[in-house]
Amino acid sequence: MEVKNKEELEQFTVVGKPIPKRDAYYKATGQAFYIQDVTLPGMLYGKILWSQYPHARIVNIDTSKAKRLPGVKAVLTGYDVPEFRFGFLKDNMPLKKNKVVTLRDEVAAVAAIDPDIAEEAISLIKVDYEPLPAVFNPIEAMQEGAPLIHEEKGTNVLPLPWKLKVGDIEEAKKRSAYIVSDRFKTTWVTHCCMGTSGCVAYFDPQGNLIIYANTQIPYLAQRDFQEFLSVLGLSDKRVRVIQPYIGGGFGSKLDTYPYEYIAILLAWVTKRPVKILFTREEEFKYTSPRQPTIIEITQGCDKEGRLTFREVHMILDNGGRTSWGATTPSVMMMPISSLYRVPNVLYTATCVYTNNTYCQAMRGYGNPQATWAIECSMDELAEDAGIDPMEFRLINANQPGEITPQNFKVSSCALRECIEEVGRLLEWKEKRGKQRDKARGVGMASLIHVGGGARVYRSDGCGTIIKIDDFGKVQVFTGATDIGQGADTVIAQVVAEELGVSIDDVTVIWNDTDICPWDVGVHASRTTFIACHSALGAARKIKEKILQLASLILGVTENELKIKNGLIFCEKDASKNISLTKLLRNIHYRTQGTIMMAEYFYDPDTEMYDKEFKGNFSKAYAYGTHGVEVEVDKETGKVKILKYVAVHDVGKAINPMLIKGQIYGGAVMGMGFALTEEMIFREGELMNPNFRDYKILTAKDVPPIEAVLIEPGEETGPYGAKGIGEPGCVPSAPAIANAIYDAVGVRIKELPITPEKILKALKEKEGS
Amino acid sequence: MMKLKVKEYFKVKSIEEAINLKLQYGEKAMFIAGGTDVIVGLKNKKWSPEVLISLNEIPSLSYIKEENGYVKIGALTTHREIERSSIIEKKIGALIDAVKNLGSVQIRNVATIGGNLCNAAPSADTAPPLLVHNAFITLEGKEGRRSLPLEEFFLGPGKTAKKEEEVLIEISLPTPPKTAKSAYWKHTRRAALELPIIGVAVYLDVELMEHGKLRQVFDSPDSTWDDQLRALNESDILCKELRLALGVAAPIPLKVKELDGIVRDKRLSEQLLSEVTDVALQKAQVRDSWRGAAWYRKEMIKVLTKRLALICLRRILKEV
Amino acid sequence: MRYTINFRLNGEEISMEVEASWTLLYLLREVLGLKGTKEGCGMGECGACTVQINGKSVVSCIYPAMEVDGKEVWTIEGLAQSSETLHPLQKAFIEHGAIQCGFCTPGMIMSAKSLLEENPSPTEEEIREAIGGNICRCTGYVQIIEAIKHAAEEYHGSKK
Repeated sequence: MEVKNKEELEQFTVVGKPIPKRDAYYKATGQAFYIQDVTLPGMLYGKILWSQYPHARIVNIDTSKAKRLPGVKAVLTGYDVPEFRFGFLKDNMPLKKNKVVTLRDEVAAVAAIDPDIAEEAISLIKVDYEPLPAVFNPIEAMQEGAPLIHEEKGTNVLPLPWKLKVGDIEEAKKRSAYIVSDRFKTTWVTHCCMGTSGCVAYFDPQGNLIIYANTQIPYLAQRDFQEFLSVLGLSDKRVRVIQPYIGGGFGSKLDTYPYEYIAILLAWVTKRPVKILFTREEEFKYTSPRQPTIIEITQGCDKEGRLTFREVHMILDNGGRTSWGATTPSVMMMPISSLYRVPNVLYTATCVYTNNTYCQAMRGYGNPQATWAIECSMDELAEDAGIDPMEFRLINANQPGEITPQNFKVSSCALRECIEEVGRLLEWKEKRGKQRDKARGVGMASLIHVGGGARVYRSDGCGTIIKIDDFGKVQVFTGATDIGQGADTVIAQVVAEELGVSIDDVTVIWNDTDICPWDVGVHASRTTFIACHSALGAARKIKEKILQLASLILGVTENELKIKNGLIFCEKDASKNISLTKLLRNIHYRTQGTIMMAEYFYDPDTEMYDKEFKGNFSKAYAYGTHGVEVEVDKETGKVKILKYVAVHDVGKAINPMLIKGQIYGGAVMGMGFALTEEMIFREGELMNPNFRDYKILTAKDVPPIEAVLIEPGEETGPYGAKGIGEPGCVPSAPAIANAIYDAVGVRIKELPITPEKILKALKEKEGS
Repeated sequence: MMKLKVKEYFKVKSIEEAINLKLQYGEKAMFIAGGTDVIVGLKNKKWSPEVLISLNEIPSLSYIKEENGYVKIGALTTHREIERSSIIEKKIGALIDAVKNLGSVQIRNVATIGGNLCNAAPSADTAPPLLVHNAFITLEGKEGRRSLPLEEFFLGPGKTAKKEEEVLIEISLPTPPKTAKSAYWKHTRRAALELPIIGVAVYLDVELMEHGKLRQVFDSPDSTWDDQLRALNESDILCKELRLALGVAAPIPLKVKELDGIVRDKRLSEQLLSEVTDVALQKAQVRDSWRGAAWYRKEMIKVLTKRLALICLRRILKEV
Repeated sequence: MRYTINFRLNGEEISMEVEASWTLLYLLREVLGLKGTKEGCGMGECGACTVQINGKSVVSCIYPAMEVDGKEVWTIEGLAQSSETLHPLQKAFIEHGAIQCGFCTPGMIMSAKSLLEENPSPTEEEIREAIGGNICRCTGYVQIIEAIKHAAEEYHGSKK
């Protein structure tokens, strides 16, 4: 739907307005139930025994004592259950046999009548291991003679030779007036959802599986669990996935986890519901964090500051098993090829098995890591070329309508405006390079992300069913999931707007695979774009039906009719009207009556990557720029953020209040990524699995943040909207690093930028 | 949710009752006040008492008063109460600095100063401030009451000179003279929910001679630490006493002794403060740990001591 | 070992037997079925389990149930339960976008409630201090602080 200007948006009743989140009432009164709150009759509590070694052969598991403990209903090991492999490379299984390859490996599981007994039973399981030499560094793991994580594969290098090549790098290098080369690193950080992971699995009396799952992919998970049931000899049984309220996602729930299959196994064996719920310590240690990266980047530009090429090589520590971390290069390609205009691109990424933890999706899916390197390097290149970094970005800014080296068709793009707005808000011209005496500096960094869905799977679709009851109340059944971002609200807004009803009359139901139609998942910031398009499609069908019927009753043509506030009326002659509820009862309560329902499946006409990783895989692209002013304490190395501005091209804000919530939340996550968060591992063991030592920012740490929405309108988006879920955390780290460089002239290349690193760098600078 | 592995919970009404119960149950019992260390330790399996003896209902163990030239704090006084006390604010600045940044409001509402000291973590925030004020503590056991200087109380990480059945009942410290002020710096990565990377407390008593320039610099809102140090070097301020204590710089909260000879009657300057931190670094046993590198902790001892002296001076000048 | 305790919970007198092994959070969630208060970490490090005891915010996951004897406890369930009678804080949180996934919300509101009852016109710094022990991963705290400021303005003169 095309939205040309702000005035048009202001004519809307609910779209474009700061409507409170629909489920906020439940959450504010403590009535929202999360997986923590789900209890079923006869429910047992499951607990998992994890590996004691990062790399070892399992010699023997003795579960006899655990089995004899009163209250224990089942004890399972990998030797008791049929083999089932899952995960992107099928190298994971619910319970491990023969060998453990990380400290995260699940070795045994127990179901008992209460959590205390379950824990005691775990402590009674005796496992004999034969420790094997372990490797914790991907570069070491790539060498000849390094211990093999999966011997049958013959190598620790994953068979995923990510490579993107556009143009001719060597030729471009020759044409470049300036070239900079550098190495950057990011480490493991984790989602820290306030609600920990968990599920409740049970088989109904007919042997169908019902699982309450904290998942972001209800339908893909359903498919995974269905596959699992086949292995258990239950291929004719159904799987129903029910989602309680989800206490945070951020990508942590985009893959199925061993614990979910373990819960299913325990439920199958005991014939009772089984709940597995992670403690916070388990959440830190046994869920999959953000993919760490080792990045070599080289960029060049001509004398006028136009980028000539960008060459990036990455090594990714894949850990012991494979989840989505190994696929992050597919998204990292996006900023590498399409953040700023760069005609020649070469990117390779090598994923390597080690005995470390393994990673999956986390907000941005690799984009924050890649942008960290790209945007720091941009500042270095600008300096080399003697061009102001803001000016340098404007020279190379993407424009609407361009086709990028990866064949992305950029429709709306307000990157220039974002950069300029940041420059204005930071008083860039007055401050850049001018506050060294006070150890203050300003810096900026931009982002590109998918903003119109993402065809990372074959389908990027979402289904909606709408029904309107005789009271004029609208129920919208969507395949999308609300993880706190506001899917339940924006969908209600667009439906209410389209149907001309009060938003209080619209309920969005999203959490049951038995009731709601298919959706591929809440990832890639796709929900507003795709789910709203889907809802609008169904709403328009219903509206058509309503107007058709009304036109018969009122004796006017359909296009003379409008619906507003639950009343269908003729624009030219207001006396010709009928209330929606009267119409609905009319068509229902009569011979050959009908009810008002419609369905719609929206799957955009985008492309999957071809063999060369090129293809327009999103319908629209989101852009933005963050700017930061910092003050560095040169004696302690501590960084104080004086001002943080986040300017985002959002197409059009269907709900400006919720959009800003995404930006603020993303920015604070980005600040943590930049300055304080790191999972500290020693020999594969996590030293800081708690909130005291894993430093996620508190309300006392957060600086003043200004979020600015730039709304050029995206013609392919619902009411002009584009995605926002992830962009907020993508450019924070380089913006902060660039500001620190302006303040004190040191560049830290490994995240997080701790006071120690800054102080060390300052001392080295002084010394030299 | 799991339960605690505690079988019995006694809420005693007197110190005597507490002592007798502890003697009765021995190692199987632990005292509990606010519980923010005891319960966390239970959940972490740091300790596993079957019996908890709650001291919370013993009357009159929670107070802050000034009596006979001493500031006295009852062991069951919460950190929040200390934070709100005008006596402490005026006279024991370092202690306010410590409790203001301890944990979170929720923790401070129940955690007690007695509990913080008895837990004896090398990082205990209240310890360095009390050490620089020459605090001593009073214990009550089956043989009656005894007092000892706080510096003799800490024996090792989690270990104190308190006998198993003794109850810590009071912390007291001499009311400082008007010309003396203290300050504490908790160096952390975040602003809440933190244990310090390093904690430094300074107590300073001076004779103010030529200090106009320093006052000027303090009054200017934009003055940096460097500006203030320069002004100090150009002033004439005699050091009567300087005491320094460190947290997370040794197995116990550490009072740096042997400073008297260096500082007494000397002009307070950046140079003098350097000499002080040189001594401190000799006495300290700063370790490398994944929570913080030794070299950084040592650097911070140097930097923060200087800054704390300036904060103390600022507090002194405010009163004068 | 069970002990009888008497306390006030959300305005009601309660007399019941509790076990030495229960934390207050366990008592609320598992025994009394009040699921509004959440467990985020179980160690007192995140604030999700915050309740009010004698008007002060306390993390209930490390607070022994035995200690509520003789005290007054308020949980999120004690605030309004319908949209007609919402507490100003609940209303403000809803209207200012201060709630996303909502897991931290009950604890956050209780910390804010303790603040406003003690200090009806807090500065922004005082608000940050009051919720410094409540971790939120979704909102970045900005709209939460705005909501509390707004509720303070409405709260002036209101009772509990």
